[in-house]
Amino acid sequence: MPRSIPILRLEDIHKSYAGQPVLRGVSLALYRGDIKVIIGPSGGGKSTLLHCINFLVSFERGRIWLRDNPIDPADKRTLYAYRQKVGMIFQDFNLFDHLTAIDNVQIGLVRVRGIPKREARERAMAELARVGLSDHAFKYPAELSGGQKQRVSIARALAMDPEVMLLDEPTSALDPELIGEVHAVIRNLAAGGMTMALVTHEIGFAAALANEILFMENGLILEQGPPTTILRNAALERTREFCAKIARLHAGGREAP
Amino acid sequence: MDLSFYTQEVAPAMLRGLWVSIGLILPSAVLGLAIGVLAGTLRVYGRPLWRRAAEIYGLVFRGFPLLIQLYIWYFGLPQLGIYLSPYAAAVLGFALCGGAYHAEYVRGALRSIKQGQLQAARSLGFSRTRAVISILLPQAIRRALPGCGNELIYLIKYSSLAYMVTCIELTGEAKILASMFFKYLEVFFVVGAIYLGLVSLASWGLSRLEDRAGIPGFEYVRR
Repeated sequence: MPRSIPILRLEDIHKSYAGQPVLRGVSLALYRGDIKVIIGPSGGGKSTLLHCINFLVSFERGRIWLRDNPIDPADKRTLYAYRQKVGMIFQDFNLFDHLTAIDNVQIGLVRVRGIPKREARERAMAELARVGLSDHAFKYPAELSGGQKQRVSIARALAMDPEVMLLDEPTSALDPELIGEVHAVIRNLAAGGMTMALVTHEIGFAAALANEILFMENGLILEQGPPTTILRNAALERTREFCAKIARLHAGGREAP
Repeated sequence: MDLSFYTQEVAPAMLRGLWVSIGLILPSAVLGLAIGVLAGTLRVYGRPLWRRAAEIYGLVFRGFPLLIQLYIWYFGLPQLGIYLSPYAAAVLGFALCGGAYHAEYVRGALRSIKQGQLQAARSLGFSRTRAVISILLPQAIRRALPGCGNELIYLIKYSSLAYMVTCIELTGEAKILASMFFKYLEVFFVVGAIYLGLVSLASWGLSRLEDRAGIPGFEYVRR
């Protein structure tokens, strides 16, 4: 029954900020090992959607299930347990600035999970090794490059043993030179079978990784399908236009007609 | 110059006073800081009712002159059947007044920390309260340190008001001594110098503390 129940399912999510609708009925299901990449113009609701999935922002309508358990954000205990299962990676890393890399990874284990310090430290070290940062474990965020910071934040999320990872433009705040190292870590996660929802503008990366691409605009998923279809053969004019624009940008304008 | 006046009269009185002053300053500082951290945190992250209460606290305790506050604790409360010793009234007054100022520094520092860190903590399964306590406050306190330190230095000097509610500390001893021997200039210079000494010591201690609390990204650059 590998594909019978989605790990994560959301249904008809509606969200508005100050009366302005941002999400207008979004539904989504992530099965084990799924990698869904969400693309679309800024302000289309991509980031808000990921924040809603983690209940970091409240929404007016819609429901979310982890496996077959509906999540009620008013039930704090369930909510905190759910959030541990859903790892979140932010565009600007959001590392805890007063803690070293290893303490950033460790603190959730100690304070949330109640794991003894020594054990938590070993686990944290292992997670840092997994993202290639063993040598930087005792540096503070201010001493790390953007790419290193994002890798620490991935290690921090992984330490909680998430079943799903939500990545909100993980490389958008990075110098072009540093994007590769973060992409490599994400690729490793994918190879390990991690279920992911990824918002990105890196079309090439998305195409190589995704089993489905979702095009989102004005708070709706307008179109979704396998990468080749969405990127080369989209049904909607709007999707084709967006993908072409991004592709031209990434080609440095050389492929512009 | 009559040296024996200093050794026989000034020194023992000042020493007595100094101990009382230190006995006032230390608990008032600790208590005031604790109240300030609590009130400042509630101002930013408290539920609406607590937030409002902390706001009113700040307004009242920064609005009433400290001397009036001390008078209320010491001379006013007995009308309600509550009798505080001069010492207790002074410590209570200093802590509550200092706390209101510390709260402002803590509030400002908390607000200077990006919301993203709170989100990240919550995404790991922290409750809001736990995230504020273990992620935001350690950073906020580092940032509030210079301001709070300044408040502690004020405290050293306004502790002299304890004398007005008959808690005889440095200033009280000095006043008594000066009028007994009619040597105001000498005695007040000595007592002033002692306060200067305390303030210098506190400044030194605080800058050591700032250095120790300074981690990459939070260091205080001294020129």
